[in-house]
Amino acid sequence: MHTNLLLSVPVRYWQDFQDTLARATNANIYIFDANGAPFSRFSLPAELCQEVNKGRELRNEKCIDFYKLACGSLEEKDMLTCPYGLKLCAYRLGSYAQRIGYLMVAPSRHTTLGEREEEIAFITKAHNIYRTINEVFSAILEKNLLGLRRLELNSIYEISRLMTSIVELDRVLELITNSLIIIYQADLCFVGLREGDKIRVAQGKGVNGSQLIGKEWPLVHPLIERIFSKVEPSSLSIEELRVLPGFTGTEAAPGTEIMVYPLWTALGIVGLLGIAAPVSLGDNGSKNLQIYINFATVALANATLIRRLEREAETDYLTGFLNRRVLRDVLAAELQRAARYGYHLSVIFLDIDDFKAYNDTFGHLAGDVVLQKTAELIKNSIRTTDIACRYGGEEFIIILPGTKGGDAAKVAERIRKSIETYPFPHRRITASLGVAQAKKNDSVDSLLARADQACYQAKERGKNHLCLDPS
Amino acid sequence: MSEIIEKRIGRYETLLKEMWTASSKYLGTFSVNLLVERVVWEVSLEYKEIELLQYDQNGISCAKMAARLEENPDLPVEDMFMKFITRYVEILARLLGYERAEEIKKKLDEEFAGDLSASREE
Repeated sequence: MHTNLLLSVPVRYWQDFQDTLARATNANIYIFDANGAPFSRFSLPAELCQEVNKGRELRNEKCIDFYKLACGSLEEKDMLTCPYGLKLCAYRLGSYAQRIGYLMVAPSRHTTLGEREEEIAFITKAHNIYRTINEVFSAILEKNLLGLRRLELNSIYEISRLMTSIVELDRVLELITNSLIIIYQADLCFVGLREGDKIRVAQGKGVNGSQLIGKEWPLVHPLIERIFSKVEPSSLSIEELRVLPGFTGTEAAPGTEIMVYPLWTALGIVGLLGIAAPVSLGDNGSKNLQIYINFATVALANATLIRRLEREAETDYLTGFLNRRVLRDVLAAELQRAARYGYHLSVIFLDIDDFKAYNDTFGHLAGDVVLQKTAELIKNSIRTTDIACRYGGEEFIIILPGTKGGDAAKVAERIRKSIETYPFPHRRITASLGVAQAKKNDSVDSLLARADQACYQAKERGKNHLCLDPS
Repeated sequence: MSEIIEKRIGRYETLLKEMWTASSKYLGTFSVNLLVERVVWEVSLEYKEIELLQYDQNGISCAKMAARLEENPDLPVEDMFMKFITRYVEILARLLGYERAEEIKKKLDEEFAGDLSASREE
Protein backbone atom coordinates (compact mmCIF):
# COMPACT_ATOMS: atom_id res chain seq x y z
CA MET A 1 0.00 0.00 0.00
CA HIS A 2 1.29 3.44 -0.85
CA THR A 3 1.91 6.01 1.82
CA ASN A 4 -0.95 7.91 0.29
CA LEU A 5 -3.81 5.50 0.90
CA LEU A 6 -5.91 6.99 -1.84
CA LEU A 7 -3.38 6.69 -4.63
CA SER A 8 -3.87 2.99 -5.01
CA VAL A 9 -3.09 2.53 -8.69
CA PRO A 10 -2.21 -0.86 -10.14
CA VAL A 11 1.25 -0.27 -11.57
CA ARG A 12 0.89 -2.72 -14.46
CA TYR A 13 -2.19 -0.91 -15.81
CA TRP A 14 -0.53 2.41 -15.22
CA GLN A 15 2.64 1.35 -17.03
CA ASP A 16 0.64 0.49 -20.17
CA PHE A 17 -0.96 3.93 -20.16
CA GLN A 18 2.33 5.70 -19.46
CA ASP A 19 4.19 3.79 -22.18
CA THR A 20 1.51 4.60 -24.76
CA LEU A 21 1.69 8.27 -23.83
CA ALA A 22 5.50 8.17 -24.04
CA ARG A 23 5.42 6.62 -27.51
CA ALA A 24 2.82 9.11 -28.72
CA THR A 25 4.80 12.10 -27.48
CA ASN A 26 8.22 10.61 -28.19
CA ALA A 27 9.44 11.42 -24.68
CA ASN A 28 10.59 9.31 -21.79
CA ILE A 29 8.42 9.28 -18.67
CA TYR A 30 9.23 8.14 -15.17
CA ILE A 31 7.17 8.52 -11.96
CA PHE A 32 8.14 8.50 -8.29
CA ASP A 33 5.78 8.18 -5.36
CA ALA A 34 5.30 10.80 -2.65
CA ASN A 35 8.38 9.50 -0.79
CA GLY A 36 10.61 9.70 -3.85
CA ALA A 37 10.66 5.92 -4.36
CA PRO A 38 10.24 4.59 -7.94
CA PHE A 39 6.57 4.02 -8.88
CA SER A 40 6.79 3.20 -12.60
CA ARG A 41 9.66 2.42 -14.98
CA PHE A 42 11.09 4.55 -17.78
CA SER A 43 8.73 4.17 -20.67
CA LEU A 44 11.39 4.20 -23.38
CA PRO A 45 14.92 2.85 -23.19
CA ALA A 46 17.13 5.90 -22.92
CA GLU A 47 20.42 4.95 -24.48
CA LEU A 48 22.54 6.31 -21.69
CA CYS A 49 20.32 4.89 -18.98
CA GLN A 50 20.35 1.51 -20.66
CA GLU A 51 24.10 1.61 -20.80
CA VAL A 52 24.44 2.59 -17.16
CA ASN A 53 21.66 0.52 -15.68
CA LYS A 54 21.76 -2.54 -17.91
CA GLY A 55 18.05 -2.37 -18.63
CA ARG A 56 15.04 -0.16 -18.09
CA GLU A 57 14.99 -0.12 -14.32
CA LEU A 58 16.90 2.30 -12.18
CA ARG A 59 19.56 0.23 -10.53
CA ASN A 60 22.39 2.62 -10.24
CA GLU A 61 22.66 3.96 -6.68
CA LYS A 62 23.91 7.27 -8.04
CA CYS A 63 20.67 7.68 -10.06
CA ILE A 64 18.39 6.62 -7.20
CA ASP A 65 20.06 9.04 -4.78
CA PHE A 66 19.84 11.81 -7.37
CA TYR A 67 16.10 11.31 -7.98
CA LYS A 68 15.29 10.97 -4.29
CA LEU A 69 17.13 14.18 -3.55
CA ALA A 70 15.55 15.94 -6.53
CA CYS A 71 12.02 14.85 -5.47
CA GLY A 72 12.64 15.95 -1.89
CA SER A 73 13.68 19.45 -2.84
CA LEU A 74 11.26 19.99 -5.75
CA GLU A 75 8.70 22.69 -5.06
CA GLU A 76 6.54 22.66 -8.18
CA LYS A 77 8.64 22.12 -11.30
CA ASP A 78 12.27 22.33 -12.30
CA MET A 79 14.71 21.55 -15.08
CA LEU A 80 17.31 19.04 -13.91
CA THR A 81 20.41 17.33 -15.26
CA CYS A 82 20.98 13.75 -14.12
CA PRO A 83 24.43 12.53 -12.96
CA TYR A 84 25.05 11.21 -16.50
CA GLY A 85 24.21 14.48 -18.20
CA LEU A 86 20.61 13.67 -19.23
CA LYS A 87 18.43 16.79 -19.12
CA LEU A 88 14.93 16.33 -17.81
CA CYS A 89 11.86 18.21 -16.64
CA ALA A 90 10.66 17.43 -13.11
CA TYR A 91 7.13 18.14 -11.81
CA ARG A 92 5.35 17.67 -8.53
CA LEU A 93 2.09 15.71 -8.99
CA GLY A 94 -1.08 16.40 -7.05
CA SER A 95 -2.56 19.55 -5.62
CA TYR A 96 -1.17 22.15 -3.24
CA ALA A 97 -3.00 20.40 -0.43
CA GLN A 98 -2.10 16.84 -1.35
CA ARG A 99 1.17 15.68 -2.84
CA ILE A 100 0.78 12.49 -4.88
CA GLY A 101 4.24 11.97 -6.34
CA TYR A 102 6.74 13.27 -8.89
CA LEU A 103 7.01 13.12 -12.65
CA MET A 104 10.25 13.13 -14.66
CA VAL A 105 10.10 13.70 -18.39
CA ALA A 106 13.27 13.17 -20.43
CA PRO A 107 13.98 13.25 -24.17
CA SER A 108 13.69 9.83 -25.77
CA ARG A 109 17.25 10.05 -27.06
CA HIS A 110 20.35 11.20 -25.28
CA THR A 111 20.60 14.92 -25.92
CA THR A 112 21.94 17.86 -24.02
CA LEU A 113 19.15 20.07 -25.46
CA GLY A 114 21.81 22.47 -26.62
CA GLU A 115 19.62 24.42 -29.04
CA ARG A 116 17.30 26.95 -27.43
CA GLU A 117 14.41 26.11 -29.76
CA GLU A 118 14.87 22.42 -29.14
CA GLU A 119 14.76 23.05 -25.40
CA ILE A 120 11.59 25.18 -25.58
CA ALA A 121 9.85 22.52 -27.68
CA PHE A 122 10.82 19.85 -25.17
CA ILE A 123 9.65 21.91 -22.16
CA THR A 124 6.28 22.52 -23.86
CA LYS A 125 5.93 18.82 -24.58
CA ALA A 126 6.92 17.92 -21.01
CA HIS A 127 4.41 20.38 -19.62
CA ASN A 128 1.60 18.87 -21.70
CA ILE A 129 2.58 15.42 -20.49
CA TYR A 130 2.55 16.71 -16.91
CA ARG A 131 -0.95 18.18 -17.32
CA THR A 132 -2.29 14.96 -18.80
CA ILE A 133 -0.76 12.74 -16.13
CA ASN A 134 -1.76 15.05 -13.31
CA GLU A 135 -5.36 15.08 -14.57
CA VAL A 136 -5.44 11.28 -14.77
CA PHE A 137 -3.99 10.93 -11.27
CA SER A 138 -6.44 13.48 -9.90
CA ALA A 139 -9.33 11.56 -11.46
CA ILE A 140 -8.06 8.29 -9.98
CA LEU A 141 -7.62 9.96 -6.62
CA GLU A 142 -11.12 11.40 -6.77
CA LYS A 143 -12.58 8.03 -7.69
CA ASN A 144 -10.71 6.25 -4.90
CA LEU A 145 -11.69 8.95 -2.46
CA LEU A 146 -15.35 8.56 -3.42
CA GLY A 147 -15.03 4.80 -2.88
CA LEU A 148 -13.61 5.33 0.58
CA ARG A 149 -16.25 7.93 1.45
CA ARG A 150 -18.99 5.54 0.29
CA LEU A 151 -17.50 2.87 2.53
CA GLU A 152 -17.35 5.29 5.46
CA LEU A 153 -20.92 6.49 4.98
CA ASN A 154 -22.26 2.95 4.54
CA SER A 155 -20.54 2.03 7.71
CA ILE A 156 -21.84 5.06 9.61
CA TYR A 157 -25.34 4.24 8.40
CA GLU A 158 -25.08 0.60 9.43
CA ILE A 159 -23.45 1.36 12.75
CA SER A 160 -26.01 4.03 13.65
CA ARG A 161 -28.77 1.54 12.88
CA LEU A 162 -27.13 -1.16 14.96
CA MET A 163 -26.22 1.09 17.82
CA THR A 164 -29.81 2.03 18.43
CA SER A 165 -30.63 -1.64 18.87
CA ILE A 166 -27.64 -2.85 20.89
CA VAL A 167 -27.32 -2.07 24.58
CA GLU A 168 -24.73 -4.63 25.68
CA LEU A 169 -21.57 -2.66 26.44
CA ASP A 170 -19.16 -5.38 25.29
CA ARG A 171 -20.86 -5.63 21.90
CA VAL A 172 -20.88 -1.87 21.42
CA LEU A 173 -17.16 -1.69 22.24
CA GLU A 174 -16.41 -4.55 19.87
CA LEU A 175 -18.40 -2.97 17.05
CA ILE A 176 -16.73 0.42 17.41
CA THR A 177 -13.15 -0.84 17.49
CA ASN A 178 -13.67 -3.42 14.73
CA SER A 179 -15.30 -0.90 12.40
CA LEU A 180 -12.60 1.72 12.84
CA ILE A 181 -9.80 -0.76 12.24
CA ILE A 182 -11.53 -2.09 9.13
CA ILE A 183 -12.46 1.25 7.56
CA TYR A 184 -9.34 3.24 8.33
CA GLN A 185 -6.82 0.39 8.40
CA ALA A 186 -5.95 1.60 11.86
CA ASP A 187 -2.92 0.02 13.48
CA LEU A 188 -4.45 0.57 16.89
CA CYS A 189 -7.83 1.53 18.27
CA PHE A 190 -8.75 1.80 21.95
CA VAL A 191 -11.72 2.97 24.00
CA GLY A 192 -11.42 4.12 27.61
CA LEU A 193 -14.50 4.63 29.76
CA ARG A 194 -14.85 6.98 32.68
CA GLU A 195 -15.03 5.24 36.04
CA GLY A 196 -15.23 7.90 38.76
CA ASP A 197 -12.06 9.97 38.69
CA LYS A 198 -10.23 7.85 36.12
CA ILE A 199 -10.41 6.48 32.59
CA ARG A 200 -10.25 2.70 32.36
CA VAL A 201 -9.41 1.14 28.98
CA ALA A 202 -12.34 -1.14 28.16
CA GLN A 203 -11.31 -2.27 24.69
CA GLY A 204 -8.13 -2.19 22.64
CA LYS A 205 -7.44 -3.75 19.24
CA GLY A 206 -4.56 -3.77 16.80
CA VAL A 207 -0.87 -3.54 17.60
CA ASN A 208 -0.46 -3.94 21.40
CA GLY A 209 -4.18 -3.16 21.78
CA SER A 210 -4.85 -6.02 24.17
CA GLN A 211 -2.05 -4.75 26.46
CA LEU A 212 -4.01 -1.56 27.05
CA ILE A 213 -7.18 -3.26 28.30
CA GLY A 214 -7.71 -2.66 32.01
CA LYS A 215 -5.14 0.13 32.24
CA GLU A 216 -6.26 3.13 34.27
CA TRP A 217 -5.45 6.77 33.58
CA PRO A 218 -6.42 9.37 36.20
CA LEU A 219 -8.49 12.27 34.92
CA VAL A 220 -6.01 14.61 36.62
CA HIS A 221 -3.11 13.21 34.57
CA PRO A 222 -1.72 16.18 32.57
CA LEU A 223 -2.17 14.41 29.23
CA ILE A 224 -5.73 13.27 30.01
CA GLU A 225 -6.54 16.77 31.26
CA ARG A 226 -5.22 18.13 27.97
CA ILE A 227 -7.42 15.75 25.95
CA PHE A 228 -10.54 16.74 27.89
CA SER A 229 -9.71 20.43 27.89
CA LYS A 230 -11.39 20.74 24.46
CA VAL A 231 -14.17 19.21 22.40
CA GLU A 232 -11.99 18.54 19.32
CA PRO A 233 -9.69 15.52 19.05
CA SER A 234 -6.03 15.80 20.05
CA SER A 235 -3.30 14.77 17.63
CA LEU A 236 -0.62 13.08 19.73
CA SER A 237 2.73 11.51 19.04
CA ILE A 238 3.63 8.08 20.37
CA GLU A 239 6.27 9.75 22.56
CA GLU A 240 3.55 11.84 24.24
CA LEU A 241 1.36 8.78 24.81
CA ARG A 242 4.20 6.81 26.39
CA VAL A 243 3.65 8.65 29.67
CA LEU A 244 0.39 6.69 30.09
CA PRO A 245 0.43 3.17 31.58
CA GLY A 246 0.14 0.57 28.80
CA PHE A 247 1.99 2.58 26.15
CA THR A 248 5.50 2.03 27.50
CA GLY A 249 7.56 0.45 24.75
CA THR A 250 4.85 0.89 22.09
CA GLU A 251 6.24 1.83 18.69
CA ALA A 252 4.48 3.53 15.79
CA ALA A 253 5.43 3.48 12.12
CA PRO A 254 6.73 6.79 10.75
CA GLY A 255 3.88 8.97 9.53
CA THR A 256 1.32 7.34 11.81
CA GLU A 257 -1.27 9.83 12.97
CA ILE A 258 -2.62 9.19 16.47
CA MET A 259 -5.89 10.96 17.22
CA VAL A 260 -7.50 10.83 20.64
CA TYR A 261 -11.15 11.87 20.79
CA PRO A 262 -12.71 13.00 24.07
CA LEU A 263 -16.17 11.41 24.28
CA TRP A 264 -18.66 13.91 25.64
CA THR A 265 -22.41 13.94 26.02
CA ALA A 266 -24.62 16.59 27.60
CA LEU A 267 -24.21 14.70 30.89
CA GLY A 268 -20.41 14.96 30.90
CA ILE A 269 -17.39 12.79 30.08
CA VAL A 270 -18.16 9.28 28.80
CA GLY A 271 -14.57 8.33 28.01
CA LEU A 272 -12.06 8.65 25.20
CA LEU A 273 -11.32 6.94 21.91
CA GLY A 274 -7.89 6.65 20.32
CA ILE A 275 -7.10 5.69 16.75
CA ALA A 276 -3.67 5.32 15.16
CA ALA A 277 -3.97 5.38 11.38
CA PRO A 278 -1.11 5.09 8.88
CA VAL A 279 -2.38 8.01 6.81
CA SER A 280 -3.89 11.40 7.32
CA LEU A 281 -7.66 11.31 6.87
CA GLY A 282 -8.00 14.74 5.33
CA ASP A 283 -10.78 17.22 6.09
CA ASN A 284 -13.73 15.17 4.85
CA GLY A 285 -12.38 11.97 6.34
CA SER A 286 -11.98 13.68 9.72
CA LYS A 287 -15.54 15.00 9.54
CA ASN A 288 -16.91 11.54 8.72
CA LEU A 289 -14.91 10.07 11.56
CA GLN A 290 -16.26 12.74 13.91
CA ILE A 291 -19.84 11.81 12.89
CA TYR A 292 -18.98 8.19 13.61
CA ILE A 293 -17.46 9.11 16.97
CA ASN A 294 -20.61 11.08 17.90
CA PHE A 295 -22.77 8.01 17.28
CA ALA A 296 -20.28 5.86 19.16
CA THR A 297 -20.36 8.24 22.13
CA VAL A 298 -24.14 8.10 22.44
CA ALA A 299 -24.10 4.31 22.08
CA LEU A 300 -21.38 4.00 24.73
CA ALA A 301 -23.19 6.38 27.08
CA ASN A 302 -26.42 4.37 26.73
CA ALA A 303 -24.71 1.02 27.15
CA THR A 304 -22.71 2.24 30.17
CA LEU A 305 -25.82 3.63 31.81
CA ILE A 306 -27.78 0.44 31.22
CA ARG A 307 -24.96 -1.69 32.61
CA ARG A 308 -24.79 0.49 35.71
CA LEU A 309 -28.54 0.28 36.21
CA GLU A 310 -28.45 -3.49 35.77
CA ARG A 311 -25.64 -3.81 38.29
CA GLU A 312 -27.35 -1.53 40.76
CA ALA A 313 -30.59 -3.48 40.37
CA GLU A 314 -28.74 -6.68 41.21
CA THR A 315 -26.54 -5.43 44.03
CA ASP A 316 -27.25 -4.57 47.64
CA TYR A 317 -26.04 -1.01 48.11
CA LEU A 318 -24.80 -1.48 51.68
CA THR A 319 -22.80 -4.70 51.37
CA GLY A 320 -22.04 -4.99 47.64
CA PHE A 321 -23.51 -8.53 47.68
CA LEU A 322 -26.20 -9.71 45.27
CA ASN A 323 -29.65 -8.75 46.49
CA ARG A 324 -32.69 -10.92 47.10
CA ARG A 325 -34.12 -10.07 43.66
CA VAL A 326 -31.39 -11.95 41.79
CA LEU A 327 -30.77 -14.62 44.44
CA ARG A 328 -33.57 -16.80 43.12
CA ASP A 329 -32.29 -16.65 39.52
CA VAL A 330 -28.71 -17.36 40.55
CA LEU A 331 -29.68 -20.23 42.84
CA ALA A 332 -31.97 -21.72 40.18
CA ALA A 333 -29.12 -21.61 37.65
CA GLU A 334 -26.71 -23.23 40.13
CA LEU A 335 -29.24 -25.96 40.95
CA GLN A 336 -29.66 -26.69 37.25
CA ARG A 337 -25.92 -26.80 36.69
CA ALA A 338 -25.39 -29.07 39.69
CA ALA A 339 -28.08 -31.45 38.42
CA ARG A 340 -26.69 -31.45 34.87
CA TYR A 341 -23.04 -32.02 35.79
CA GLY A 342 -23.75 -34.09 38.90
CA TYR A 343 -21.86 -32.05 41.44
CA HIS A 344 -22.82 -31.05 44.97
CA LEU A 345 -24.30 -27.75 46.00
CA SER A 346 -24.84 -26.35 49.48
CA VAL A 347 -26.40 -23.26 50.95
CA ILE A 348 -25.69 -21.41 54.21
CA PHE A 349 -28.39 -19.29 55.81
CA LEU A 350 -26.92 -16.72 58.23
CA ASP A 351 -28.86 -14.56 60.65
CA ILE A 352 -27.18 -12.02 62.95
CA ASP A 353 -28.31 -12.64 66.54
CA ASP A 354 -30.30 -9.91 68.33
CA PHE A 355 -29.66 -7.42 65.56
CA LYS A 356 -32.92 -5.54 66.18
CA ALA A 357 -31.88 -4.82 69.77
CA TYR A 358 -28.46 -3.60 68.55
CA ASN A 359 -30.14 -1.30 66.05
CA ASP A 360 -32.62 0.04 68.61
CA THR A 361 -29.90 0.63 71.20
CA PHE A 362 -27.04 2.03 69.11
CA GLY A 363 -28.87 3.44 66.12
CA HIS A 364 -29.24 2.47 62.47
CA LEU A 365 -25.89 3.85 61.43
CA ALA A 366 -24.15 1.57 63.92
CA GLY A 367 -26.34 -1.28 62.61
CA ASP A 368 -25.21 -0.54 59.06
CA VAL A 369 -21.57 -0.80 60.16
CA VAL A 370 -22.29 -4.27 61.63
CA LEU A 371 -23.91 -5.38 58.37
CA GLN A 372 -21.01 -4.07 56.29
CA LYS A 373 -18.39 -5.67 58.52
CA THR A 374 -20.29 -8.98 58.64
CA ALA A 375 -20.41 -8.97 54.82
CA GLU A 376 -16.65 -8.37 54.74
CA LEU A 377 -16.04 -11.26 57.17
CA ILE A 378 -18.22 -13.55 55.03
CA LYS A 379 -16.39 -12.49 51.87
CA ASN A 380 -13.03 -13.23 53.50
CA SER A 381 -14.19 -16.72 54.53
CA ILE A 382 -15.47 -17.99 51.17
CA ARG A 383 -13.97 -18.78 47.75
CA THR A 384 -14.31 -16.49 44.74
CA THR A 385 -16.56 -19.11 43.15
CA ASP A 386 -19.00 -18.98 46.08
CA ILE A 387 -21.87 -16.50 45.83
CA ALA A 388 -22.97 -14.33 48.75
CA CYS A 389 -26.32 -12.51 48.86
CA ARG A 390 -28.05 -10.24 51.32
CA TYR A 391 -31.39 -11.94 51.83
CA GLY A 392 -33.13 -9.50 54.11
CA GLY A 393 -32.37 -7.05 56.94
CA GLU A 394 -29.75 -9.06 58.85
CA GLU A 395 -29.97 -12.30 56.86
CA PHE A 396 -27.39 -13.53 54.39
CA ILE A 397 -27.37 -16.50 52.02
CA ILE A 398 -24.16 -18.08 50.78
CA ILE A 399 -24.29 -20.46 47.81
CA LEU A 400 -21.39 -22.92 47.63
CA PRO A 401 -21.21 -24.74 44.26
CA GLY A 402 -19.35 -28.07 44.26
CA THR A 403 -19.52 -28.35 48.06
CA LYS A 404 -21.00 -31.12 50.21
CA GLY A 405 -23.06 -30.27 53.29
CA GLY A 406 -20.27 -31.29 55.69
CA ASP A 407 -17.72 -29.07 53.97
CA ALA A 408 -20.21 -26.21 53.85
CA ALA A 409 -20.65 -26.62 57.62
CA LYS A 410 -16.89 -26.11 58.03
CA VAL A 411 -17.13 -22.87 56.03
CA ALA A 412 -20.14 -21.82 58.15
CA GLU A 413 -18.19 -22.50 61.33
CA ARG A 414 -15.29 -20.39 60.03
CA ILE A 415 -17.70 -17.53 59.39
CA ARG A 416 -19.37 -17.92 62.79
CA LYS A 417 -16.02 -17.79 64.58
CA SER A 418 -14.78 -14.79 62.62
CA ILE A 419 -17.95 -12.84 63.55
CA GLU A 420 -17.81 -13.94 67.17
CA THR A 421 -14.20 -12.84 67.56
CA TYR A 422 -14.37 -9.60 65.60
CA PRO A 423 -14.30 -6.50 67.86
CA PHE A 424 -17.53 -4.81 66.71
CA PRO A 425 -18.25 -1.41 68.27
CA HIS A 426 -20.40 -1.28 71.46
CA ARG A 427 -20.78 -5.02 72.04
CA ARG A 428 -20.02 -8.52 70.83
CA ILE A 429 -21.93 -9.72 67.74
CA THR A 430 -22.78 -13.34 67.00
CA ALA A 431 -24.66 -15.11 64.24
CA SER A 432 -26.67 -18.31 63.85
CA LEU A 433 -26.18 -20.36 60.72
CA GLY A 434 -28.10 -23.14 58.99
CA VAL A 435 -26.54 -25.33 56.33
CA ALA A 436 -28.38 -27.45 53.75
CA GLN A 437 -27.09 -29.57 50.89
CA ALA A 438 -29.15 -29.64 47.69
CA LYS A 439 -31.01 -32.87 47.03
CA LYS A 440 -32.16 -34.31 43.75
CA ASN A 441 -35.28 -32.46 42.56
CA ASP A 442 -34.73 -29.67 45.10
CA SER A 443 -36.26 -26.35 44.10
CA VAL A 444 -35.04 -22.91 45.15
CA ASP A 445 -37.83 -22.70 47.74
CA SER A 446 -37.32 -26.18 49.19
CA LEU A 447 -33.56 -25.74 49.52
CA LEU A 448 -33.84 -22.30 51.12
CA ALA A 449 -36.60 -23.56 53.42
CA ARG A 450 -34.34 -26.36 54.74
CA ALA A 451 -31.41 -23.96 55.26
CA ASP A 452 -33.76 -21.54 57.03
CA GLN A 453 -35.09 -24.35 59.19
CA ALA A 454 -31.52 -25.35 60.15
CA CYS A 455 -30.79 -21.72 61.05
CA TYR A 456 -33.93 -21.66 63.20
CA GLN A 457 -32.68 -24.75 65.03
CA ALA A 458 -29.34 -23.00 65.63
CA LYS A 459 -31.27 -20.14 67.22
CA GLU A 460 -33.22 -22.64 69.31
CA ARG A 461 -29.95 -24.02 70.63
CA GLY A 462 -29.15 -20.66 72.16
CA LYS A 463 -27.82 -18.69 69.16
CA ASN A 464 -24.19 -18.37 68.00
CA HIS A 465 -24.52 -21.93 66.71
CA LEU A 466 -24.67 -23.66 63.39
CA CYS A 467 -26.88 -26.56 62.36
CA LEU A 468 -26.60 -28.86 59.38
CA ASP A 469 -29.90 -29.90 57.87
CA PRO A 470 -30.11 -33.64 58.59
CA SER A 471 -32.35 -34.63 55.64
CA MET B 1 -21.16 -23.39 -17.29
CA SER B 2 -18.15 -25.53 -18.12
CA GLU B 3 -17.14 -28.03 -15.51
CA ILE B 4 -13.60 -26.67 -15.19
CA ILE B 5 -14.78 -23.12 -14.49
CA GLU B 6 -17.38 -24.37 -12.07
CA LYS B 7 -14.73 -26.38 -10.24
CA ARG B 8 -12.23 -23.52 -10.27
CA ILE B 9 -14.65 -21.01 -8.79
CA GLY B 10 -16.22 -23.60 -6.52
CA ARG B 11 -12.95 -24.11 -4.67
CA TYR B 12 -12.52 -20.41 -4.02
CA GLU B 13 -16.13 -20.10 -2.97
CA THR B 14 -15.65 -22.88 -0.42
CA LEU B 15 -12.48 -21.20 0.83
CA LEU B 16 -14.18 -17.82 1.20
CA LYS B 17 -17.15 -19.41 2.96
CA GLU B 18 -14.78 -21.10 5.40
CA MET B 19 -13.05 -17.78 6.00
CA TRP B 20 -16.41 -16.12 6.53
CA THR B 21 -17.55 -18.73 9.04
CA ALA B 22 -14.25 -18.80 10.94
CA SER B 23 -14.08 -15.00 11.20
CA SER B 24 -17.73 -14.41 12.07
CA LYS B 25 -17.30 -16.78 15.01
CA TYR B 26 -14.97 -14.21 16.56
CA LEU B 27 -16.13 -10.93 15.02
CA GLY B 28 -19.84 -11.31 14.36
CA THR B 29 -21.49 -11.03 10.95
CA PHE B 30 -21.68 -7.24 10.91
CA SER B 31 -17.92 -6.79 11.26
CA VAL B 32 -17.19 -9.57 8.77
CA ASN B 33 -19.53 -7.96 6.25
CA LEU B 34 -17.76 -4.65 6.71
CA LEU B 35 -14.38 -6.34 6.38
CA VAL B 36 -15.40 -7.99 3.09
CA GLU B 37 -16.76 -4.67 1.80
CA ARG B 38 -13.47 -2.97 2.70
CA VAL B 39 -11.31 -5.59 0.99
CA VAL B 40 -13.58 -5.76 -2.08
CA TRP B 41 -13.22 -2.00 -2.49
CA GLU B 42 -9.46 -2.18 -2.18
CA VAL B 43 -9.02 -5.13 -4.55
CA SER B 44 -11.48 -3.56 -7.02
CA LEU B 45 -8.98 -0.75 -7.63
CA GLU B 46 -6.96 -3.38 -9.49
CA TYR B 47 -9.51 -6.06 -10.33
CA LYS B 48 -12.92 -4.62 -11.06
CA GLU B 49 -14.40 -8.13 -11.27
CA ILE B 50 -14.09 -8.63 -7.49
CA GLU B 51 -17.20 -6.43 -7.25
CA LEU B 52 -19.12 -9.43 -8.61
CA LEU B 53 -18.58 -11.13 -5.28
CA GLN B 54 -21.94 -11.28 -3.53
CA TYR B 55 -22.05 -10.97 0.23
CA ASP B 56 -24.51 -10.07 2.95
CA GLN B 57 -25.24 -10.97 6.55
CA ASN B 58 -25.91 -14.57 5.48
CA GLY B 59 -22.63 -15.27 3.77
CA ILE B 60 -20.67 -15.03 0.54
CA SER B 61 -21.27 -16.30 -3.00
CA CYS B 62 -19.24 -16.42 -6.23
CA ALA B 63 -22.16 -17.18 -8.59
CA LYS B 64 -21.89 -13.91 -10.56
CA MET B 65 -18.13 -14.24 -10.70
CA ALA B 66 -18.48 -17.71 -12.21
CA ALA B 67 -20.80 -16.36 -14.92
CA ARG B 68 -18.25 -13.63 -15.74
CA LEU B 69 -15.47 -16.20 -15.92
CA GLU B 70 -17.56 -18.14 -18.41
CA GLU B 71 -17.56 -15.06 -20.67
CA ASN B 72 -13.92 -14.21 -20.04
CA PRO B 73 -11.86 -17.30 -19.17
CA ASP B 74 -8.65 -15.19 -19.13
CA LEU B 75 -9.74 -13.43 -15.99
CA PRO B 76 -6.81 -13.58 -13.50
CA VAL B 77 -8.96 -15.28 -10.87
CA GLU B 78 -6.03 -16.73 -8.92
CA ASP B 79 -4.23 -13.39 -8.57
CA MET B 80 -7.45 -11.63 -7.67
CA PHE B 81 -8.47 -14.11 -4.97
CA MET B 82 -4.96 -14.33 -3.57
CA LYS B 83 -4.85 -10.57 -3.22
CA PHE B 84 -8.28 -10.63 -1.60
CA ILE B 85 -7.32 -13.35 0.87
CA THR B 86 -3.99 -11.72 1.74
CA ARG B 87 -5.59 -8.36 2.52
CA TYR B 88 -8.44 -10.02 4.39
CA VAL B 89 -6.05 -11.93 6.64
CA GLU B 90 -3.89 -8.82 7.19
CA ILE B 91 -6.83 -6.83 8.55
CA LEU B 92 -8.14 -9.86 10.41
CA ALA B 93 -4.81 -10.08 12.23
CA ARG B 94 -5.30 -6.54 13.56
CA LEU B 95 -8.78 -7.42 14.78
CA LEU B 96 -8.09 -10.79 16.35
CA GLY B 97 -4.39 -10.59 17.10
CA TYR B 98 -1.77 -12.25 14.94
CA GLU B 99 -1.89 -15.57 16.78
CA ARG B 100 -5.59 -16.22 16.22
CA ALA B 101 -5.43 -14.96 12.62
CA GLU B 102 -2.49 -17.28 11.98
CA GLU B 103 -4.55 -20.15 13.41
CA ILE B 104 -7.33 -19.43 10.92
CA LYS B 105 -4.85 -19.03 8.07
CA LYS B 106 -3.07 -22.26 8.98
CA LYS B 107 -6.35 -24.14 9.16
CA LEU B 108 -7.37 -22.83 5.73
CA ASP B 109 -3.92 -23.60 4.30
CA GLU B 110 -4.17 -27.18 5.54
CA GLU B 111 -7.64 -27.65 4.15
CA PHE B 112 -7.17 -25.92 0.82
CA ALA B 113 -3.48 -25.95 -0.07
CA GLY B 114 -3.90 -29.15 -2.11
CA ASP B 115 -6.98 -27.90 -3.91
CA LEU B 116 -5.48 -24.52 -4.69
CA SER B 117 -2.32 -26.07 -6.10
CA ALA B 118 -4.46 -28.40 -8.20
CA SER B 119 -6.48 -25.49 -9.55
CA ARG B 120 -3.29 -23.76 -10.65
CA GLU B 121 -2.06 -26.88 -12.44
CA GLU B 122 -5.22 -27.25 -14.54
